[in-house]
This record gives sequence, structure tokens and C-alpha cells, in this order.
Amino acid sequence: MALLLRLIKLMRPVRGMMALSIALSLLAMLANICLLAVSGWFIAAMGLAGVAGASMNYFTPAAIIRALAIARTAGRYAERVTSHEATFRVLAGLRRWFYDRLEPLIPGALSDQTSGELFTGIRNDIERLELVFLRIISPVVVAGLAGLFVVGVLALHHGISAIVIAALLVVAGVALPLIAMRQGAKPSRDLTALSSEMKALLIDGLEGLAELQLAGRDAYFRSRLAGLSERQISCERQLAMQQGLASAAIVLAANLALLAVLVLVIPAVRDGSVGAAYLPALMLLALASFDAVVPLPLALQSLPGALQSARRLFDLADRTPNVCEPSQPRRAGSGHEISFDDVSFRYAKGRPLVVRNFNLQLGEGRRIAVVGETGAGKSSLINLIVRFWDPTSGRITMGGVPINELALEVLRARICVQQQRPYFFSATVRDNLLLARPDATQGHIEAATRAAQIHDFITSLPRGYDTYIGAHGRLLSGGQVHRLAVARALLNPAPVLVLDEPTEGLDAITAAAMFRGISSLAHDRSILLITHRETGLADMDEIVVLQNGCVAARGSYAELSRLGGPLNAFKSRIDDRPRDDL
Amino acid sequence: MAEARAGESFLKAQKEHVSRPLRMTVGAGLGIGGVVIVQAWLLARIVSAVLFDGASLADVTMELVLLPAIFVARAGLTYISEIASFQAASEVKRRLRDELMQQVLRLGPVRLAEHKTGTLVATITDSVDAIHPYYARYLPAVTLTAILPIAILIVVLPADWLSALVFLVTAPMTPLFMILIGKGAEAKNQKQWSTLMRMSGHLLDAIKGLPTLKLFNASRREAEVVSAMAEGYRRDTMAVLRVAFLSSLALEFFATVSIAMVAVLIGFRLLWGEMTFFSGFFVLLLAPEFYAPLRSLGAHYHARMEAIGAVDKIIALLALAGEMPPPVERARAMAWRAPRLEFKDVTVTFADGRRGLDAISFVIEAGERIALVGPSGAGKTTVLNLLLGFVTPASGEILIDDVPMQACDMATWRRHIAWMPQRPHMFQMSVGDNIAMAEAGGNERDAKALMSAAREASAEALIERLPHGLDTLTEEDGRDLSGGEVQRIALARAFHRRPELVLMDEPTAHLDPDTEKSILAASERLLVGRTSITAAHRLNTVERADRIFVLENGRLVDEGDHETLLKRGGLYADLVQRAASEG
Repeated sequence: MALLLRLIKLMRPVRGMMALSIALSLLAMLANICLLAVSGWFIAAMGLAGVAGASMNYFTPAAIIRALAIARTAGRYAERVTSHEATFRVLAGLRRWFYDRLEPLIPGALSDQTSGELFTGIRNDIERLELVFLRIISPVVVAGLAGLFVVGVLALHHGISAIVIAALLVVAGVALPLIAMRQGAKPSRDLTALSSEMKALLIDGLEGLAELQLAGRDAYFRSRLAGLSERQISCERQLAMQQGLASAAIVLAANLALLAVLVLVIPAVRDGSVGAAYLPALMLLALASFDAVVPLPLALQSLPGALQSARRLFDLADRTPNVCEPSQPRRAGSGHEISFDDVSFRYAKGRPLVVRNFNLQLGEGRRIAVVGETGAGKSSLINLIVRFWDPTSGRITMGGVPINELALEVLRARICVQQQRPYFFSATVRDNLLLARPDATQGHIEAATRAAQIHDFITSLPRGYDTYIGAHGRLLSGGQVHRLAVARALLNPAPVLVLDEPTEGLDAITAAAMFRGISSLAHDRSILLITHRETGLADMDEIVVLQNGCVAARGSYAELSRLGGPLNAFKSRIDDRPRDDL
Repeated sequence: MAEARAGESFLKAQKEHVSRPLRMTVGAGLGIGGVVIVQAWLLARIVSAVLFDGASLADVTMELVLLPAIFVARAGLTYISEIASFQAASEVKRRLRDELMQQVLRLGPVRLAEHKTGTLVATITDSVDAIHPYYARYLPAVTLTAILPIAILIVVLPADWLSALVFLVTAPMTPLFMILIGKGAEAKNQKQWSTLMRMSGHLLDAIKGLPTLKLFNASRREAEVVSAMAEGYRRDTMAVLRVAFLSSLALEFFATVSIAMVAVLIGFRLLWGEMTFFSGFFVLLLAPEFYAPLRSLGAHYHARMEAIGAVDKIIALLALAGEMPPPVERARAMAWRAPRLEFKDVTVTFADGRRGLDAISFVIEAGERIALVGPSGAGKTTVLNLLLGFVTPASGEILIDDVPMQACDMATWRRHIAWMPQRPHMFQMSVGDNIAMAEAGGNERDAKALMSAAREASAEALIERLPHGLDTLTEEDGRDLSGGEVQRIALARAFHRRPELVLMDEPTAHLDPDTEKSILAASERLLVGRTSITAAHRLNTVERADRIFVLENGRLVDEGDHETLLKRGGLYADLVQRAASEG
């Protein structure tokens, strides 16, 4: 309940639109119910007048019938438009609210979730919440008000049938859906579990398809999938049967209401307490009123899911950030020398240290490479420099000022990172590049893309720099992504450049050309290069070899080569890395 | 448009497999038609008797008793029709999913390599699920639309020809307008489809890219974009919806206005004594039932669109050509010993027209140890894939102990092979099962054999370190294991097969020197006494081979042992030279 209230609170800015939509929906519903009832009354009254040879004012009822027909048609259209308008406004508000809440949390405070699950979770949850008004709030309110109206009208003419119809409406609109929901809970849960089990099985099997076929296990794989499919179908059958029963029960309840009115009102017609022409009217009124409860099973069914989604999103949004803006940020010094003083770091309590007693001086304009195998702690250094996390002990300074005393925007304006797993937005190549420097000219952009060896590729695209990339655009290969990320980093004017595996997925010749490009374009910037390849190391002022978070060796390229040891791990490869973007 | 037609005809073609439940839906539909008419008839009789013949409850007992029976029959038939259509839908689903699975297995890993796993999985699961409502909702609605209005028209015509005429005129107008407006909305929708998708997906896009945004100090700026995108999404979607809703407006309009017209027309003729109240009320009761199927068809029309959208991907996957080796009628018996292999003018052409191998010929003697070297794309992996049966030659012939490969049973042949890919896959099952890879799910697992395989692969210590030893479950694709650990388990898998031919693609990923050394030593042991082909990336592997095949652009450009090739100069000497200069 508290969840629902908090959710409704978030929707407050659109309450006017929501009220209008509910009013229109109610109008259309009542016009529909009354149309049949008034028509029934009209032909009965006309028939009775015809038999009696009496005269009758037929203009008013005929006009009312036409008016109801138009009210129902127009009302339904207007209701659809306003309810969707309201829904989309709720959506806009919800999205902004959620983004604002999430912004300080990523990546640090949400790192306990695997990104795939996190993002599909967020997408599904937000989609569900966006439908809360349309699917749940509006139909429930309308059904309640329409039911009250019908019962009230019935009560004016015949009290007992009003009570009976009220009872039947409650049974059909509340009790039946609740029973269906309770019985459907287990198969629905099983269905969700089965669907992810099926996907996991398929991913496992498809990624290991070669091994599977080599071991002759393909028939077994196929039969396992068929088995899961069978179980899925049997759960769906249970749900379909329940839904079938529930909808049949609503139809039955509506017809029973009609029968009840007949049985109760016919004696009243005979004893004269109810006018004869009202019999068909009341009977049709009772029947039509069940139209209002038809959407209720779906509404009640979606409620628990919606609340669960709300809980998950609120839980995410209510987390506390792991890195805080200093309350009184210090002014940055003029220099941008970066220094790690005895820094150790672990991602969470109880997890191993990934960086141990690390020291580094990246003086202005110096170039340092950190090399080491995967998992040696190289990428954690980047997370610390830009304050995605704070060190567990030790401190990092820039220009002599501890970085946790600088405003985050000031810190990040001076450091530019080329990420190993860069993200490209669903936008044009140009827009993705401009992210690094909104005021860049075409000249700036091309200088960066040429240095990163990606300009020719971009111009070969049909729409050049205006080609859409990202989730809804052209898919780039691994090597292209890396080169584009390097170009984006080079475009950014920050004095400290951090490159994380810039030559990943490139062949030796292209990699060497890229390093020449970086050297000339960033000749006056400090560079921190993180890599496990050998290309480019010879041009570095210092090389730090990292092993298990500790410095295993440091020195110039020449010194380390003479020593052999850790650097030798790179040797004796006789072919190029695959060029993956041909 | 052509695609939509292909999708629709594919969906219709599936109907023949489920004709029985679909016939049941039609039968139930006919039954509902009959019941609806009888119900209206009974109600009209009761009300007419009470209003015009002064009947009391007792006089209409007969009709009142029949009514509940009719109600129950109607509910029952509705239920039967739902269940029958569910049956049809799930049967189609079951068949399609299995067909897709067979297709995937037929295509094999190499031909599927260019398809993303996620897309394939979505096709086999989500797309197949998405066609369910087509059979469960849309087709039954079509059936009812075809039956009910006609049945009602037949009984209304003798009762009141004028109302029948109103029905007859308005009924075709409804679908006509719906289609016209629907087309307009769809065109509008198509035009902005990609923009709408982008705007709708923007929040997730922004959240996924938050680290990047923060690095460029753009994360606060982006908040405004989130708002603007949601606002744009609202504006543009509403523009489409306002048109799309017109089609249901048309439907409502014709249904509602004609009911009102029928009621008013009947009323006047009753006043003038031109018809009986019974006929008039009977027709009025049937009027909403006449339009109900059309309305339900309108409500389920999107199920058709969604199914057509989803079926595209299914058709595309099923249409992928897999040049399959023809089934072997009488497979030749295969000796269980290290095989002699011969390639005769083998050419491989990929689906995109590229030549994988270009008329390559060589002989590998039984027990010989071959290293394949050459730049990436030279055809090293293709040679291995040919022997694994994942790729078939466009021309030429492969002989295994002088028997053509097509004459061998693939499953039997594969049992002779152990394969070490660059990135071995760890299945989500226990480490023991990952080593055994037994056909029936691992009940015939022999712990002793597994441990001895592990020992040979230097994986014993690793397994003992695991919390439950051989029974430890591996996470998705061995995420909880390091690269070296995965390699060791894969080696144990290879030893456990007791193969006669070892095909190896050396890992290029960086392993730490100790791990690398011990894995190399274990690989050495695996090759002893077996025929082996290694796609080599390291100097020391190549040096130990009996012969080295140098490949370039799908051709065998040179062969010989290390010393000979080095002396001869050429591509091999170049490669070695470059390795030395990098190192």
C-alpha cells in the first residue's frame, strides 16, 4: 500500500489529465450501458402505446438514444486519447525522476548487479509502471463508479434486484479475479522461471554448439529444449484454462443478473409497483453493467507485478552513492600532476585487494604505461583516478590537491579516459564524438579520427559522420569501437589522457600507426597507457608492470627488456592478432 | 508489404498441422451462434408475454427454466473454443521451436558464427511465443466474425427486413474504414519507427552510458535530454495514436449508431402497429451480438501484426542454407587408430562468396604432428572445421584412411577427435560433466577416468581446490574460472575422449607464464602417438612439429620442418622474423 501511494505521488503532476481521462472513460461506459437500457424502454413504451392507441412523446427518447450513441463513440475516442496522453506524461516524469536518482549511483553503487540483469530489469520495471494508470487505476475506478451508478438506478425502481445485482457484480468483478489470481500465481511464477531457464539453456548450447556436436550431444540438447517447451506449454495451458473459466464465469454472471431481474421484476410488473416498460430496460441495464468489470481480472493480475517493479526501482533509487561530492570543494591547483601515494583498493568489504600499496607520479607531459595480465588491477586504477570509487587506503592527488576534495566536474574536466569497454549512444557518429567536446569543429573531429585511424572508415559509411550507431543504428565491430573511443578521447581537451587498451583488436601495422597519431596529436599531454600488448611501449617514459595488484617491476623499456622477466610474457607470437573489422 | 504477405502465408501454412483443434473452434463458434439466437428468442418471448399478454412468472416458467441451460451452454462453448484455440497455438509453437532447433543443429557452429547468440535465442524463444496470440486470439475471432453475423442476419431477415438491411449496409463499412485508417496509421508509424524506437529506448541508453557520460562531464546535461526525449516520444507517439484510434472510432461508430437506428426504427413501427413487440425486441437483443465479433476482431487485430513481425525472424532462420553432407547410407567401418588424412584439391567457399580454401592438397601420415601457420584469414581454422564436419568442401575430397569423408558416419568420426578451440566453452553443469561431456547427461560418469584425465591435463590441483571437486557447478560460460583454468578443464576433456586425432587452435589470449608453460606441457602429452593438427601462434609449438604447413590466402604456399623453412626464406621466415622483432 505504501508502495502504491509513493507511486501515485510520483504521478501527481498529471492528476488533472488523469481525472479527465477517468471522467471521459466513465461517460463512455455509462453511455454504452444506458444506450441498450433506454432502447429497451423505448421500444417497449412505443409498443405499449401502439397497442393502447395512445399518443406518446417520442422525440425526447429518440434524441436521447442518438445522443447516447454519439456520447459513447466520441467519449471512447476522447478517453483513449487522454488516457494515453496521461500515460505518456507519467512516463516522462517517471523517467526523469529515475535518471536523476540513478545518476550519482552508477557505476559504483550498483556494481553488485550484473549489468545485463540490471538493465533488462530496469527496462521491464519501467515499462510495467508506465502502464499502471492505463491498466490498473483507470479501469478499477471506472468499474467502481459505473457499478455504483447501475445499482443506484436499479435501487430507484426495485430495491431487491439492486442488491442482487450488486452482489453479482462484486462476485464477477472482485471475487472471481482474486481466485483466478491466486490460482494463477504458481503457473505464472513457473512460467517466468522456465522462460529464463530456456534462454540460459539456449545460450549455453549455442555458445558451446561446436563442443556439443563434437560430443554427439545434439539430440540430447534438442530433447532438453523440447522438454522445457513442453513444461512451458503446460503452465500456459493451466493459465489459459483459468482465464477461460474466469471469462466464462463473467459472462455467466452477467446472464444470471439478467435472469434475476426477470424473476424479481416480473411479479412487480404484475402488481403494478414497476411500470411495464421498465422491465426490458432494467434487464438490459443489469446485463450491460458487466461490461465495466471485464477489464478487472487483468487489472488485478497486473497489480502484484507492478508493485514488485515499483519496489525494485525504489530500492535502486534509494541507494546511497559510494562516492560523494565534497561539501566544500577546494579550488584546483594550477598543475595537473597526478600522484598515487601508497594506494590500496578493494571493491567491497570481504573482497580481495585488487591494488596494493601502489605509488605512481604522472608528471605533466609524462608518459607512463601500466602493463600486466587481465585481472592484475590495471582498470581499477582508472576507476580510482576519475573517482568512480575511492581508495580503501592511501590517497590520490592532482596538482597537489587530494582528488576527493575537488568537485567531481572539475576533476573529470582535467582527465580524459578512453574506456576499454566504451559506450556509444544511439545517435550519429558525430554526436557521439561531440560528447567529448561539444564545441568541436569538423577540423578538430577529423584530426582526432585520423589519428585514431578511423576517419577513412567513417567516410566510407553511406552517411559518413551522420550515420546512426549504437543500439538502434549500425553495429560496429570490436576494432571499430576501440578506434572510435580513442578518437573521442583525443578530441577531449583535458590535459591528462588515460588510454585503456587502445589497440585492442588491431593488427600490428594499424596499431603502430595509431600510436604515431596519438603521439603527435597529444604531444603536450600527460598519458597513462594501460595495455597488455607490446606496441607503443618503446615510446613511454616509464613502464610499470603490475601483478596481482602489486608493482612487479618498473623502469624504462630498455631497462625492462634487458632484465627479461615479466615483460617477456609478450614474446614469441608469430602471427598478427586477427583484424576483426574487415 | 511483400514481407508481411510472406509472414501471413507462413502463419497460414502452419494451420494444416492443427486442423483438428481449429475445426473444433469453428464448431464451437457455430454452437455459440445458435445459442445466442435461441437466448434472444427466449428473452423476447418472456418479455413480450409479460408486457402484452399479461403473463405472470408461472406462465413463463418454461422459458425461465430453459434460460440457465442456455447460459451454461454458452459459457461452456466459449470455454471450449478458448481451449481448442490454445491447443492449436501451442501445437504450432511446439513444432516451430523444434524445427528451429533442428535447423540450428543442422547449420552448426561455423555457419551460425555470424549470427549473434542473443538474436538466435530471442528468435527461438520470444519470436515463437509472439505468434501464440495469432492462433489463440486472432484466428478464433476471424472464425466467429465469419459465422455469427451471417447466422444472425439469417434469422433477423424474416423478423424485420429493415433492420437486416441496416446490418447488411453497416457491417462491411466497419472493416473497410478500419483497414483504410489502419493503413494510414501504419504508414505514419513506419515513417517514424526508428525515431520512436530511439526515443523510447533513450532512458536505458543513457543509463547504460552513464559511466561514459560522467567521464565527459555530461551526465547532468543528459538529464535534460532524458526529459526532452520523453517529451518528444509523447508528442510523436500521440500523433500516431490519434490516427490509429480513429479506426476503433469507426468501428464503434458504425456498431453504436446502427444499434440506435435499429432501436428507433423498431420503436416507430411498434407505435404504428406495423410489427409485433416480440420481433422488435428479438432484433434489438441480437443487434449488439451482430457487432460483437467485429469488435473482438478489432481488439485482436494487433495480435496478427505482432505475429507477422515476429515470424520474419523465424522465416529468415529457417531459410538459411546449410549445405549438408548427404546422409550416409552404409557408413564404412572406421578403424580405431591414429588416422591418415588426405586433402585432394579441397576448395571452401563461404556464404558471402569469399574463398576459405583454394584447391588445397596435402597428406598427413598417421601419427604425424602438423602445425599450421600463416596470417589470420589464411585458412588455418577452415582446415580444422572441415575435419570437424562443421564446414563442407565446395569441391575436392577429404580422405580418412583412404575412405572419402562423405562415406563416414559423422558421429562415429567425431568420436575419434579431440578439439581444443581458442576459447573452450564451459557448459552450465558440473566440472565433471564438463570433462565427461557424456551423451545422456553424465550418469555413466566414471570418477576414476575423470580424475586420471584431469591428472594428465594438470588440472588435478585445480579440481581439488574447487568447493565440491568434480561436482562443482560452473557458472555461465565458466565466468567463475580463469582463462587458464578453463584451458586446463578443456584439456582434461580432450584427454578423457581418448582421441586418435587432435585438432588444436592455440590460445592467443594472454595467460601468465607459469600457466602457459604447464598448459603447453600438457598439450604436448596429448599429442603423443596421435595424429594432430595445430593452428599455431607460438614459436615453440611450431618448432616441435614434424612438419609445418604455411598457409596464405587459402593456399598451401610452403611446407617442411622449421629448419628447412627458415633456410628457404619466404613467408615463414618473415613471420618468425616479425615475432622476433616484436619480442
